[in-house]
Amino acid sequence: MRNIKLSRNIFYALLALLMITEIGYSQDAQPAQDEELVKDCYESREDYGYVERRDIEPALPNVICSQTTSRVLWWGDPYDGTIPLGDMPLEADYSHEEAVVTPREKQLKIFMPCTTCHNGKTVPVPKNKEPRLIQFHQDIVPNALQLMHGKGSIWCLDCHSMTNRDKLISFRAEEISLNQPQKLCGKCHGEVYRDWRDGIHGKRIGSWTKGGKKRWWVCTECHNPHTVDANIFLPIKPEPAPALPKGMKSADHEHKEYGHQ
Amino acid sequence: MRTKIQFAIDFTFYALKGGIKFYTWMLFLCFLAFLAMFGIYEQFTKGLIVTAMTDQVSWGLYESNFIFLVGVAAAAVTVVFPSYIYQHKHLKSVVILGEMLAITAVIMVFLFIFLHMGRPDRAWHMFPVIGIFNFPGSMLQWDTVVLNGYLGLNLMCAFYYLYKKYTGQPLNERFYMTFIYISIVWALSIHTVTAFLMNTMPSRPMWFHTMIPIKFISTAFAAGPAFIIVAFLIIKNNTTLNIADEAIALLAKVVVWCLGIALFLTMSEIVTELYHGTEHSYSLKYLMIGKNGLSRLVPWFWASLLLNVTAFLLLLNMDFRKDYKKLRIACLMVFIGIWIEKGLGFVLPGFIPTPIGEFSEYTPNLTEIINSLGVWAMGLMMFTLMAKGGIGVLLGEVKHPAVVGKGADEHLSD
Amino acid sequence: MADTNSKIPDQPGEKDNGTNRRDFLKETGLSVAALTGAATLLTGSQEAEARVTWAEWFQKSYRLMTNEEQKDAIARLEERHSQEFGKKVTVDGSPAMKDVLFGYALNIKKCIGCRTCVHACVKENNQSRYNPELQWIRVIKMEKGEFLAANMDKGYPKDYGIEVGGNAYENAGVTLEGEHYYQPETVPEKDYFYFPIQCMQCEKPPCVKVCPVRSTYREPDGIVVIDYNWCIGCRMCISACPYWARRSNWGEPNLPAEEMNPKTHYLGNRPRMNGATEKCTFCLQRVRNGRYPACVEACPVGARKFGNLLDPDSEVRKILARKGVFRLKAELNTYPKFFYFID
Repeated sequence: MRNIKLSRNIFYALLALLMITEIGYSQDAQPAQDEELVKDCYESREDYGYVERRDIEPALPNVICSQTTSRVLWWGDPYDGTIPLGDMPLEADYSHEEAVVTPREKQLKIFMPCTTCHNGKTVPVPKNKEPRLIQFHQDIVPNALQLMHGKGSIWCLDCHSMTNRDKLISFRAEEISLNQPQKLCGKCHGEVYRDWRDGIHGKRIGSWTKGGKKRWWVCTECHNPHTVDANIFLPIKPEPAPALPKGMKSADHEHKEYGHQ
Repeated sequence: MRTKIQFAIDFTFYALKGGIKFYTWMLFLCFLAFLAMFGIYEQFTKGLIVTAMTDQVSWGLYESNFIFLVGVAAAAVTVVFPSYIYQHKHLKSVVILGEMLAITAVIMVFLFIFLHMGRPDRAWHMFPVIGIFNFPGSMLQWDTVVLNGYLGLNLMCAFYYLYKKYTGQPLNERFYMTFIYISIVWALSIHTVTAFLMNTMPSRPMWFHTMIPIKFISTAFAAGPAFIIVAFLIIKNNTTLNIADEAIALLAKVVVWCLGIALFLTMSEIVTELYHGTEHSYSLKYLMIGKNGLSRLVPWFWASLLLNVTAFLLLLNMDFRKDYKKLRIACLMVFIGIWIEKGLGFVLPGFIPTPIGEFSEYTPNLTEIINSLGVWAMGLMMFTLMAKGGIGVLLGEVKHPAVVGKGADEHLSD
Repeated sequence: MADTNSKIPDQPGEKDNGTNRRDFLKETGLSVAALTGAATLLTGSQEAEARVTWAEWFQKSYRLMTNEEQKDAIARLEERHSQEFGKKVTVDGSPAMKDVLFGYALNIKKCIGCRTCVHACVKENNQSRYNPELQWIRVIKMEKGEFLAANMDKGYPKDYGIEVGGNAYENAGVTLEGEHYYQPETVPEKDYFYFPIQCMQCEKPPCVKVCPVRSTYREPDGIVVIDYNWCIGCRMCISACPYWARRSNWGEPNLPAEEMNPKTHYLGNRPRMNGATEKCTFCLQRVRNGRYPACVEACPVGARKFGNLLDPDSEVRKILARKGVFRLKAELNTYPKFFYFID
């Protein structure tokens, strides 16, 4: 008799277990979808190089952007809107026809060419390259006497052409297009330039094959030349962390101090 | 052929008949198995997502039970070996029960593997000819070979013996003994290969250790006979089958010394790992003391150690071993202690941290517990029925009509 | 036997008006599923799915299929996925290119831990987005470590034969003490560096060795692939991988149709099913068609480099020649083709 009572109790206990199983297994809810797709995205520098998402073919967007950071995650067409990279001062293993860049100068047209003001009349051509305080462009360089590049050894006009502000200028007084800043940067940063030319430094997208078509990122697409002394690469917001494994409530244990009191 | 069918029918009918105690026990097991059917349905329709397993801890309770049960299966050799090599006549008379345990344990192993698989419907991919049998490269395939072989050997030895008893014919000694010898070596191989399955993975430093095969075997040879002792004591109390005290005494001796060796190996492991405390010791440290507030396995480790050490110390005492009530408790302690040690204390911490250092915690959820209990229930049911039928044959209560008249004792004497 | 069975979808009344065939296949498909306890196989009721399920269940390992059978399998998948996701899905079956061995190099000095690669990978490779959330790249934040005068003699206990003094013990460098779930406002953070880990495409892959059914294997271009349809879900490979690179589809993957990348490869990013294991394939579907892997393109700092190890002019070979390079867990002799470097 006792046996039967016992088994009945066990039966109820297990029946209860059975019911809890259904509840015990909780499904993660589908993450809420943002109603508006992020369309204004940036490529490498958050303050620079915007791309607008659009469809280049039905169901093929030019870029897919992160919904949390608006960074470009994926390129539908890596060569969209590019022009040939052009020559390099020192030749490298790349196929000239197949190396392309996104033109930087087009941004000048969108906003305003520098020469609109720096035309010699509205703003006169400076007499020399001596560093001096300037009122304008404090958004780019807060204190022109402390340019965050070269630790005091260079100044604006060492890179920007005095006479043609839409161009950069080398120390041999050659004008350099804003599309090809590497021609200027490479003059000082020789080792980095060599690595960049060989594809070891910097970013390229497109085809990995030898001589295949690639879009090259030029120096200023990643680095802000006016603040490199402070940040070689400006800190950006990270993408979200992975989901915690089932059964974990927090990742506090990852911190050394945690649980050691 | 007709005799064989007759044997099967007589065996089954005898096994299925019993008193109220027997039926209550069977009903209870049926209930657990029924619950598992629900859990298994859930798992097979929704996938392993209904379990608590994660990419971090990708083997869980099922694999733990699998490892433990391979040990139980192998441990049948602790009955077979003394019976035939040392001609221990008291054990020899009940050797069948050891083989029944082996058969049951191997079948339970298969059930657990089936539960463990993400795609059980594709199990046929593992078979030679119709699928791809990655042998000898894959340790899992070695395990498949040895486990199937062991199942076959034990089925054959046990039922050949019973059938001969049933018909009253003498055993073909050369035929029978050949397979007995093979099965003795084979028993060691199943647990060795199961150990190799895990300790050949440099990715998991806690497992990657030459000590693992011998530790698996020593723990198995403690837990297995412990279970057999408990089963023997139950049989002794509930049937007229005479199981000699010498048989139980010998098994108790096996339990205590194998447990001793296992504890020695545990100690060696702890000293080796913790002395310099390299990154390889992270799993063991997590198991023993936890890590930055993560400590779900810690109580299990210490409980297992406590159970094993206490049982060992108690069993060292000869008088204790002779008191069957106390012996039974000690044996259950060993059985539970080693179950914890091999699963929660070995399979799980191997995954914590992951090879790239992530600590996470795993507790089996109810689906896994229900399914595991169900498999245990099915196993116990199978063991009860097979042992019961076997006892019937041993007692002479199940015998071919042609041999009626001969005494049961006569059969037991060969 | 698989030879005959793989043709089954063509057999019963191929030219008939679909309904009979469909019913027949549905029924047989259902009974097989019921027999094998795999009701998962038939979750949807769509025609293509039911038909394909049946044929897929009997198909043999991709590597052992004849070209004909491979084409059948691919056509089946294209039909199924196009219907499932409501757009034209292509499944590529292109084999390895000649004289190409893919290699990867990652500049740990440059990596800023922004996880752009992780999410680009998910977008490209059709991983399950949630429940389970699967990501093939894991980025670990690691402490550069510092030696403070204030920490002197704090690390060790006194006595027990340990010499005390002259230490400011702290873990630093590539250790197992990293953070996986870091979420600061911005990265990189001062005093930390970041260490992304993904499949290393080992030359001696432990995962391949342990697979009981050879559903994972190394292709001639060095990429370790998985035939998702052949995988039995035993997860031996997950345990054996020293880089924790493999993930299991614990349940039916959740891949929103609008986010599904329709350009797929049979051995690469085609949608997976419940129970199958998956991992990084260096974006097989892209690299075999000449394109950089998605993570290489996504990296905003250009820390990820990819190329042909057999071509001395490739980026990867130049890095091997010029930079300080190491392989993760080189002591395990798995010979990864994924290198870490510092410039």
